[in-house]
Amino acid sequence: MFERVEVFYRPASVREAVRLLAGGKGRARIVAGGTDLVVDGDPTARALIDITHSGLAYIRKQGGGCAIGAATTMAELEESRTILALGGGILARAAATCGSIQIRGVATVGGNLANGSPAADLVTPLLVLDAVVVVADAKGRRKLPIAEYLAARGTKGLRQSLLVEVTAPRPLGRRCGWSFQKLGRTALDISVVNVAAGLQVDGAGRIQWARVALGAVAPTAIRAGATEENLQGRTLDAEAIAQAAEGVMREVSPISDVRASAAYRREMCRVLTRRALEECAAQAGCAL
Amino acid sequence: MTGRKVVGVNVRKVEGHKLVTGAPAFTDDIEMQGMLYGKILPSPHAHARIKRIDTRKAKALAGVHAVLTYKDVPRVPHTTAGQAWPEPSPYDTYLLDSKVRFVGDRVAAVAAESRAIAEKALRLIEVDYEVLPAVIDMELAMAPGAAVIHDEPDSTKIYDRSHNIAGYILREIGSVEQGFRESDFVVEREFRTHRQQHTPLEPHITICWLDPNGRLVIRTSSQVPYHTRRQVGQILQIPVSSIHVIKPRMGGGFGGKQEMLLEDICGALTLASRRPVKMEFTREEEFYMARSRHPQRLRMKMGVKRDGTVLASQLTVLATTGAYGSHSTTVQGNTGSKVLPLYRAPHMRFECHVVYTNAPVAGAFRGYGCPQGFFAQETLVDEIACELGMDPLDFHRMNVIRLGDTDLLSAQLGEGKEGLPRVVRSCGLPQCMESAARAIGWAQKRKKFPSGHSHLRRGVGMACTMQGSGIAGVDWASAFLKMNEDGSFYLQVGASDVGAGADTVLSQIAAETLGVTLDKVIITSGDTDITPFDVGAYASSTTIISGGAVKKAAGKVRAQVLEVASRMLDAPVDQLDCANNEVFTTCACRKAVSMTDLAMQAMYKEKFQIMDGASHFNTDSPPPFCATFAEVEVDTETGQVHVLHLASAVDPGTAINPMQAEGQVEGAVAQGLGYALTEELVLDADGRPLNPNFLDYKMFGFQDMPKLTTILIETDEPLGPYGAKSISEVPINGPAPAIANAIFHAVGIRIRKLPIRPEDVLRALHAERPANLDEEAMFAL
Amino acid sequence: MKTMELRVTVNGQPRKWSIGPGDLLLDVLRREGFFGVKRGCEKGECGSCTVLVDGRAVNSCLMFAAKVQGCEVLTIEGLADGDRLDPIQGAFLDHGAAQCGFCTPGMILAAKWLLDKNPHPSEDEVREAMAGVLCRCTGYIKPVEAVLAAAKQPAKRATRKREPAGVAR
Repeated sequence: MFERVEVFYRPASVREAVRLLAGGKGRARIVAGGTDLVVDGDPTARALIDITHSGLAYIRKQGGGCAIGAATTMAELEESRTILALGGGILARAAATCGSIQIRGVATVGGNLANGSPAADLVTPLLVLDAVVVVADAKGRRKLPIAEYLAARGTKGLRQSLLVEVTAPRPLGRRCGWSFQKLGRTALDISVVNVAAGLQVDGAGRIQWARVALGAVAPTAIRAGATEENLQGRTLDAEAIAQAAEGVMREVSPISDVRASAAYRREMCRVLTRRALEECAAQAGCAL
Repeated sequence: MTGRKVVGVNVRKVEGHKLVTGAPAFTDDIEMQGMLYGKILPSPHAHARIKRIDTRKAKALAGVHAVLTYKDVPRVPHTTAGQAWPEPSPYDTYLLDSKVRFVGDRVAAVAAESRAIAEKALRLIEVDYEVLPAVIDMELAMAPGAAVIHDEPDSTKIYDRSHNIAGYILREIGSVEQGFRESDFVVEREFRTHRQQHTPLEPHITICWLDPNGRLVIRTSSQVPYHTRRQVGQILQIPVSSIHVIKPRMGGGFGGKQEMLLEDICGALTLASRRPVKMEFTREEEFYMARSRHPQRLRMKMGVKRDGTVLASQLTVLATTGAYGSHSTTVQGNTGSKVLPLYRAPHMRFECHVVYTNAPVAGAFRGYGCPQGFFAQETLVDEIACELGMDPLDFHRMNVIRLGDTDLLSAQLGEGKEGLPRVVRSCGLPQCMESAARAIGWAQKRKKFPSGHSHLRRGVGMACTMQGSGIAGVDWASAFLKMNEDGSFYLQVGASDVGAGADTVLSQIAAETLGVTLDKVIITSGDTDITPFDVGAYASSTTIISGGAVKKAAGKVRAQVLEVASRMLDAPVDQLDCANNEVFTTCACRKAVSMTDLAMQAMYKEKFQIMDGASHFNTDSPPPFCATFAEVEVDTETGQVHVLHLASAVDPGTAINPMQAEGQVEGAVAQGLGYALTEELVLDADGRPLNPNFLDYKMFGFQDMPKLTTILIETDEPLGPYGAKSISEVPINGPAPAIANAIFHAVGIRIRKLPIRPEDVLRALHAERPANLDEEAMFAL
Repeated sequence: MKTMELRVTVNGQPRKWSIGPGDLLLDVLRREGFFGVKRGCEKGECGSCTVLVDGRAVNSCLMFAAKVQGCEVLTIEGLADGDRLDPIQGAFLDHGAAQCGFCTPGMILAAKWLLDKNPHPSEDEVREAMAGVLCRCTGYIKPVEAVLAAAKQPAKRATRKREPAGVAR
């Protein structure tokens, strides 16, 4: 499958990795855990650049939020106190659903994002956390909001760049709620639908800030922008949740495939969004 | 209790050590000098004629040693089903053909120095196809104007080729018309079952080479080494005597390896290249180029009296065998003959059309037609019981087959021909039902009506099933034993341990009969040069048939042992017994001789090899019985069904190795759960598989298994060695109907299609309960 | 084809192998005679090819061999100490946890990873740790029993329900 690969690089720095990528004439491939690259196969690859020794496996607190190196594994996310404390631990929870221990021990944050699967489990929590992606190329580093990164992924501008870091900036104050909901066919499964949500209410129970993101129901994971707007300023009660749950169904564009029909996925968006917002409400101390 | 020392004991597996240490035991665990890698070019079309095929570029590629198309090989119609001669399956398959009949059918084959070169060579083969209209939907296969899949003139034993009918069965005992007339209550329902794949963790694999004498050696993961030898000889047109089949350790079979899928083509590549050739299916290929369970549409009708007595049952089946008729009539025959007689109805009728479609080929699969039939029957019976206001358990207690009954449908429906009547000589079904019901808490949980506002609702359901133990009058086996100088015995059996523990069970039977400890039996199985004949591992036959042969052979050898002992101990044979590796007198004098001393005496003083063999078959197929009870929780918002607890109580006759017997039940249940809920090989409208991988073909994993209770209800079967019948198949039949019935108990919907997908449950719930109806209302109905 | 040198310690033995830069660890290990590493799906879904790399359980079918440069690899062949089986191996035998045995090396190594990290796991933890290994034979019950037993040496025998024979002739 990779018989035509001619060289395996183990760059010791991002700078070196970026240089090798630029010099690869479009035939160099970044490898971290390898759990997507090897499964997909790539007969055009001639060089492999292993970035797991490039100083990208870290989780750092940063201005109240945190910075996650692209080569950080799912297992490291799951167990990190920083990640468990961030946004109610939704990113850790999502990481814990990314396959078996054999996968989670090597699969990385960067790989999960760079692969661009609409069902990638980390993406919905990162959307909710207003994460920013840092990419590096020969010209230097750039920051992109995660949604922008997902849209631009694979375009010419990003093809020669290396995803080096994800930052989650927002430290929210009190009365927050967070949730990650995943529907699979068995315990260990790719998402049929997944939903992440986060919100903050004021003393009167009015929603000050809301995020709802859905996975596996559009070409990439998406934020339900209209639903978020409708929630803004409303009292967090059963009616608001029901309306939001109905609302997301209009914002998604699922397909039918062997995992589920579009109609079922749409309906599950409603159910999971409701469950997610209910969990958020309970955490934020709102009685329903 | 029985005084048995080895039989009935939880011994470690005789081959266990090599498995837990990773010793090279499997087909692939050898490296041969100069071994080539063989690959099949699969058809991209469901139905097409090969107009032109040009292999010149592939042959010219460096490292390619053989390229075969239909032009290069003998054309011998045959079946890939590993069945006893004459096989009841149609002879409709060719080593390679100028026509392809499903996506994945063989177009050509190559042997090259590496997998990469072989794959590249496949890409270099130029093929022009005349794409033909394809029949994917089995409902359309018999329709006028449907494309004819087997229009070649030389296939034989096809029931009606012009209508794509591979086989047709019609059997009736009594008169169902009369039975329905006399019934107070008649219910008819339609059921649908799907394509399940065996997914042995070791995909099909074969390595062939020519030995120094020029004989073709076939090292293969096969349940049927002897049938394979015969069939490869027939297909390659070489004498059986020039073929040596070796079955190493197998990584699971489940019926999928009762099929000759690689041995013939691998042998052909070896003969063409004169080099060792390895062929294996990738996981993806295993999904659609190997076999699967027959999808069926079942229409079942039952007539009962007001008190619940079953008078008549009628099952009408449409099944598809895919592109080739492997196991077509025999699997479907079982859907009738092993299912309907569970009830003591005087009137029964079974009718079945098995049709060809341009779909992956179905074949033998654990349960062999019974999972489909029992899903229909046990779901229908539950509905009837509920309609009558009866507890389904009471309905079963009243109607199921009993000790001493004769099942006459089996007499009409044998292995592709008339069969033999089946007499129930051992039956633990009543105890199975009672103990599994207790384990699940039936009495309390059945009473407790589902209630409350939660979206999670619980219910319990049950099913009773049976199977056979070998094919009556067809399956037979032989065994050979010889004594070694240290008092150990070498046991040679043709039986083919698929991984289920046959080598251990057969060794236990030999050790028990010979009065030696298990370590004194060294077994070799499944090697056509070394071991005597056995039909192979299928139809739940190994313990009862091969075990019967071992017990007979061991009995003969034991007699020889006692004769030598008689001379050594100066005691008559009838006053001798053997146990714990010695022969001793049963009289007061208590003289004894060790097996070691006895062996040395025989071999070096008397110059006599203690050895003997025996063959065995049965004219009846004693049914093992199973009661399966399930408790489920239904999420009424997502439609997901979570099985909380599944209890199986099985009557296997005597459990020769209870720990292994339990393992068989647990494994069958896991497959049965997948069949019920998550596993389905899905095809698109053009017959292409959409999920040939473990990512989207969802088997149950470690975290998916519910709590399992496994109960062995042992009986003593007169036709089995030490009272054994069989166990490996019967527990797979119950989970699907038991779960469907539990879902009804939980949420009041009847599921009649497998697998039970969340969205189907949700749709049924929505249909049953319009949005304006409140939660409680449906239960008031 | 380009080759490179791989220095790796396998089952305690230092090795120096010539590999292709795109070779996968599964292929290299089997080529070098470690047949206990099984090829079940080549997609990281079945876990039959599980090995420990620096103590971490990985699917060797998804790992480029070049990545284990300088690492310690443990395969099933290296688990027993001579003739002395690892307690997990013994428990698998005592509990009937191996049927066909094809997935058994992967299961035992996943269990080894768990027990090294967590010597007294709960049943749920065992199931989670082992979930990456698919098995078609056992229904997973006896393997779970075996790992729990191995964790509580000396192993308890598996309990089983067996009702008295309802002899019926």
